[in-house]
Amino acid sequence: MRTRVKRKWRDVVSILNRLRLSAHLDDAGLAAVWTDEATSGVRQPHPHLESCPTCRARFAELSAWLQNARVDATAEADEYFSAERLSAQHASIFRRLEAAERPARVIAFPRFAQPLTSRTSHASRWIAAAAAAGLIVGVGVGQLMDLRHPFTPQSPRTTAQARMNTPTVPISSGIQLTPIADTRDEAFLSELDASLSRAAVPELRALDELTPRAGDRSR
Amino acid sequence: MTGAQAAGFTGREADSGAASAVKALQAEGRHAEARERYAELVGRHQRRASRIAFHYMRDVAEADEAVQDAFVKAYSHLSSFREELPFEVWFTRILINGCLDRIKARTRRERWIAPMPDGPAGERDFGERVAGNDPSPEDQLLARERRERLAQALAKLPERQRSVFMLSHYEGCTSREVSALTGLNESTVRVHLFRAIRKLRALLGDANAGEAKVERRRVHS
Repeated sequence: MRTRVKRKWRDVVSILNRLRLSAHLDDAGLAAVWTDEATSGVRQPHPHLESCPTCRARFAELSAWLQNARVDATAEADEYFSAERLSAQHASIFRRLEAAERPARVIAFPRFAQPLTSRTSHASRWIAAAAAAGLIVGVGVGQLMDLRHPFTPQSPRTTAQARMNTPTVPISSGIQLTPIADTRDEAFLSELDASLSRAAVPELRALDELTPRAGDRSR
Repeated sequence: MTGAQAAGFTGREADSGAASAVKALQAEGRHAEARERYAELVGRHQRRASRIAFHYMRDVAEADEAVQDAFVKAYSHLSSFREELPFEVWFTRILINGCLDRIKARTRRERWIAPMPDGPAGERDFGERVAGNDPSPEDQLLARERRERLAQALAKLPERQRSVFMLSHYEGCTSREVSALTGLNESTVRVHLFRAIRKLRALLGDANAGEAKVERRRVHS
């Protein structure tokens, strides 16, 4: 009984295997076969591929497509990376390596900057202090002079000048006299007024008298 | 052992020898000689490094800077380099980390700055291309479109899948090398590679079908 079951089971398995092997390989199956070959580097015989010309043709087509892709990719890269470009790249790599190995250059700081500041620091400090002191003293003295100005006697020169400018009127006589310049001005103005008030041409005088004046109107 | 593998091994030995020599010269303070010796390593890995950086950055100037930074960093940290790991792997890890940092910084910048309406930076002018034995303008245009589509599809992959795909497929690294470079298990590397291919096929499937139709029509006409 047991042996019969075993035999039947074996038959079923062999039928299934035959069915599996007789079925065409799909893309995944072909890719699996190709991957096995590519990774092991050895061509392993596949039972279905050996017997099925259709699948063999499809496998050959897949292999050719992948081979073309490889050739294309390599050709494209080689087209861009020409011999000149590679030699320029080589030169650039070694320039960079040399630059990396060269010790870093320290740029010297301007030589005069440090000593100049240290040497001039004392002198400039003294100059600044002297200038400040001079300014303070000058301002102080100026203030003092201003304060003492009303109490100080006028110099003879300034008094003489003042005497010349002011009109000399003897206080003791008691008569009020107008200065000469004022009388002259008054006469000139009255003359001007008179000349304006009457017509200069005798023929027109009658007409002038008939004409009313602005002053008359306001009155 | 194939010829390429043998060449790889001898190259690796030469790398380890040169790296050890540079390290010793640096320790002795003979910097000029150390630089001279380091030039060998730079010359040997420069092109591959530029390719990797370009696939990550998709910008020539940035890729150039990333490569320079990686070489300068590797030289200045050579004292921490352990001989049991190949120099190539150690250096590529430095480079990829630098590229990823740059991409992060760029993403942050682009959040605030509007991108330029032009094509990818560093792209050569049409006038710069010299007519001659080059493929026809139509072929060039188709190739460029195909590259652009692939680059866009790659950009849509998660970071780990993209790294694994680029390293194992573009650079031809074994799963062990990719594991050492990315810090992932070898089995995880395989899973990421498988998922990357499936996703790329799904993303580019329609476009490829269209392209195949155009190609067939061209052949028939």
